[in-house]
Amino acid sequence: MNRKFVAILSALLVCLTYSVSFAAETIKIGALYPMSGRGGLYGQDSEAAIKIAVEEVNARGLPGGRKLEVKVIDDQSKPAYAVTVAKRYITEDKVNFLLGVVSSAVALAVTEVSKEYKTIFVGTDHGATDLTANAFQKYYFRVNNNTYQSMMAGAMYLKEMGGNKKIAFIGPDYAYGRDQLAELKYGFKKLGVKADFVGEFWPKLYEPDYTSYITAIIAAKPDILVSGFWGGDTVAFIKQAKAYGLFSKMKYAHFDAGGNYELFSALGDDCPEGLILGSKHHNNWPDTKENKQFVDKFHKATGRYPSYAAQGAYVGILFIAEAVKKVGNAENTEALVKAMEGMKLKMPEDPPGFTSYIDPATHQMVQAESIGITEKNSKYPPAKYMLGKFKDYPADKITPDQEYIDLLKKTKK
Amino acid sequence: MSIETIISQFVGGLSVSMLLFLVASGLTLIFGVAKVFNFAHGSFYLLGAYFSYQAIALFNNFWAGVIAATIGAGLIGMVLEICFIRKIRGRSEEGAFQILLTYAFILIIDDAVKFIWGPEYKTIQKPPSLAGTLEIGTVSLPKYNLFIIVLGIVIVIVAWYLLSRTKTGKIIQAASTDSQMVGLLGVNVSMVMSLVFGVATAMGGLAGAMAAPLRTVTSGSGIEVIIESLIVVVIGGLGNFWGALLGAVLIGEVNAFGVLWLPQWASLLSFVVMIVVLIFKPKGLLSNETTGKKI
Amino acid sequence: MMKRYKDLVPWIIYFLVFGGMLFVRGGGHYVHLAMQIIILGLFATSFNVLFGKTGLLSFGQALFYGLGAYITGMAAKSFGADYFIWALLAVPLVAIIVSILLGALSLRLSDVYFTMLTLAFAQLAWGITIKWYGFTRGDDGIQAIPKPALLTGNVNYYLFSFVVVTACIFFLWRLDRSPFGSVLEGIRQNSLRVTFTGMSVFRHQLLAYVISSCFTAIAGGLYAGIDGSIHPDMFYWTMSGSIILMTILGGMSGFFGPIIGVTIFVLLEDMVGRSTEYWSFVIGIIMLIMVMIFPHGIIGITRFFGKFLARKGGQVENP
Repeated sequence: MNRKFVAILSALLVCLTYSVSFAAETIKIGALYPMSGRGGLYGQDSEAAIKIAVEEVNARGLPGGRKLEVKVIDDQSKPAYAVTVAKRYITEDKVNFLLGVVSSAVALAVTEVSKEYKTIFVGTDHGATDLTANAFQKYYFRVNNNTYQSMMAGAMYLKEMGGNKKIAFIGPDYAYGRDQLAELKYGFKKLGVKADFVGEFWPKLYEPDYTSYITAIIAAKPDILVSGFWGGDTVAFIKQAKAYGLFSKMKYAHFDAGGNYELFSALGDDCPEGLILGSKHHNNWPDTKENKQFVDKFHKATGRYPSYAAQGAYVGILFIAEAVKKVGNAENTEALVKAMEGMKLKMPEDPPGFTSYIDPATHQMVQAESIGITEKNSKYPPAKYMLGKFKDYPADKITPDQEYIDLLKKTKK
Repeated sequence: MSIETIISQFVGGLSVSMLLFLVASGLTLIFGVAKVFNFAHGSFYLLGAYFSYQAIALFNNFWAGVIAATIGAGLIGMVLEICFIRKIRGRSEEGAFQILLTYAFILIIDDAVKFIWGPEYKTIQKPPSLAGTLEIGTVSLPKYNLFIIVLGIVIVIVAWYLLSRTKTGKIIQAASTDSQMVGLLGVNVSMVMSLVFGVATAMGGLAGAMAAPLRTVTSGSGIEVIIESLIVVVIGGLGNFWGALLGAVLIGEVNAFGVLWLPQWASLLSFVVMIVVLIFKPKGLLSNETTGKKI
Repeated sequence: MMKRYKDLVPWIIYFLVFGGMLFVRGGGHYVHLAMQIIILGLFATSFNVLFGKTGLLSFGQALFYGLGAYITGMAAKSFGADYFIWALLAVPLVAIIVSILLGALSLRLSDVYFTMLTLAFAQLAWGITIKWYGFTRGDDGIQAIPKPALLTGNVNYYLFSFVVVTACIFFLWRLDRSPFGSVLEGIRQNSLRVTFTGMSVFRHQLLAYVISSCFTAIAGGLYAGIDGSIHPDMFYWTMSGSIILMTILGGMSGFFGPIIGVTIFVLLEDMVGRSTEYWSFVIGIIMLIMVMIFPHGIIGITRFFGKFLARKGGQVENP
């Protein structure tokens, strides 16, 4: 009994003292992503994309010959744990930058840490508009689009479809889902779109069975169903709804996370045709050299095609590297903030002739959005369907306006 | 609100109920008969889904997946029971240790699954024989869901028959009520318990394999299933198969009509139902007791 | 006399370790961890009044933890930093009222039914907190909760928490060794017998439930001040579950067991989380080892060593 105890204890101690720590003299970036559970794929994709970006950046070189070093830790999608890790990154590991997160709840907590410790936090995959509006603080920058941008593009798309439409909405019952509907309605108001909302449905997040919602939606007889799911919920909903013939009874539009590649690779042949989907990044659009290169590099490194989280993380690293190059070092935080505020950076998702840029007032990357329709396409296995017939929406038309930001500040304070 | 809407919500709710029942049936068996607080039931559901996925990838046959899931989950359940759960029987505070032990299983199995199969969502197709939809008037019911309803009813009948009408069943029931006595009569009680545990986890695996074509197969889905199935089991009464069926139907229909009539609060209804049931009928809907206390 | 000194040893260690943290310089991260440990330690210790002492497995104590955090957080956020302390004082009062109501309903049931009902109440509280976005900010959580200037800063807040937690734990410790504590112990071992002595089992259980919930809520209130960030997942069943795990890990039969369990768990999570993404697996294996080989938790191990050493010394242990 005695020996067993000592053996186990020593084994444990050995395991636990082995932890990766940063090398000296590098530019340190502390990244937080969900590596397990429901968001695990996004964390894995982000980590792979970060590796690719870091190699590129270090090959091109940084001021002072320093190298970029990124550590990725699983935030478990728990705000409290993420805050502890972020604070540890800053106080123990002395990182120069924080990077990441997928969950907006985690982002809202970590941005407070960034503010308190005056450490720049670059957001790469969470969509809550709050972070660049009412929860804005100057050390936070976001390179992926927020939900407002997606929904405004969606509103424009629906307007172009014309006519007076009956619309139903379904989304997960928490801020992410509710914000998307609020932003869609705001977009309709701004564009003067007349729409009749015949039903709003709020299943809980990770709801396994949508049957009751599907039958109720069909009974409400909308022309268009707009949905606000993400991840596995999207796949589950589409599979279940297809069995009830929902997609032959109405159009289906999903603007923020609908066109994520993971959806196509999970659905395979089961993907319905004619779904109207937008995404933070499309693997097959725009058809530019930069986008193709990014997707190919990712595929070569991991053996699969990227979800949209990858582009965000990739751009996040390039963004930080550019700022460091401009300032000449990674320590002068105020100068880095200034450099980031004026940053223009070509992203793989940029349409030809356009370069995304940071809005200095909100620290949100102003970028274009594209919305497409599902059609047969086997060029990105294991997906059997991808998007096509894309419509592009220019960046300046979909950026949140001051009026919306003021509205958020008033309602969410 | 037309009659057709009500009927279609009802039928939809029924198919949700049966899937709930499939998952809960194994849990009520473990709880009520083997008397084990198996927190990890959801993990066997998860294993069932992944075993099914793997078997389908190898043999390209849905039913091969179902068989692999059921047998695989059952075997692993038995192994875990023999190696771990059995060894803590008879300890003081046994319940607490069962919770801790089965929670450890959840943590280990969830990560093992992630390690072996990766974090991406896996999908499983429905078998071609069950892929269509039945249209009865304006009510649609996918054939697959109908199959699940039938399967659920078959399981209840078979379980009820086996447990109360066969000799083995009676031994099992006796062993759960008074294991000492049964042991003295020459029955290998430990083996019986292991077998029951294995059957229960096999049912969990079966539920996982059947649910997989409809849902997402991901390492988080084990934990999500536990709470719902616990609610159903408790409402129906521990160990009571008919009770679990009733509980599942109640929860399924409450949710179905909640979506229609109380859309803002639909997601909280299961808990409200459980609270109401527990306050008035703590041993389950089908029991006569009103306090659940032994005194 | 010997017994008295022995009983003070855990207190001495407690003061050395946690009091000592006050003097750690430049260890911002470890002071931060220590704050989490003592506050969760209060949560676990008060949970153990119900579980280890009275034998009631409540799977819903997180309800009070979240309640304390949200009362404190929302009050301070809406009314200003000074209200942080007032809210903290109001927390036990609200907790007492709520726990009398929920306890009276739940304690009518026994065993697993009691457990399930406590779970249901906690999940309901979680659901309401998430849905009532206008009031609680739902899944966004509440951030940047202000504190009075005196409490701002790692060391200041740690001192404050340390004082409050120590006072609470001292109260619970005295309770544990009082006649009331003995009755609770008796109820756990054989409630029928306790009834035969003429005492009301229900009233004692209810009092235990109220006391436990009250201190759990205080822990939640204190938590709101660590990072100024709270989230509905403080109500979720996995929070209750973690506390149960930590208590059993440390040993539920000893008063300081839960605190030991919390310390080990938090440190483990910190160390393991740094090096692998398979932390669930690692913690699961450790749990497995604990249950199979060291069922009385760390307390069991120390008692084992204690007996071992005593035997070596040739002295006969008091039975």
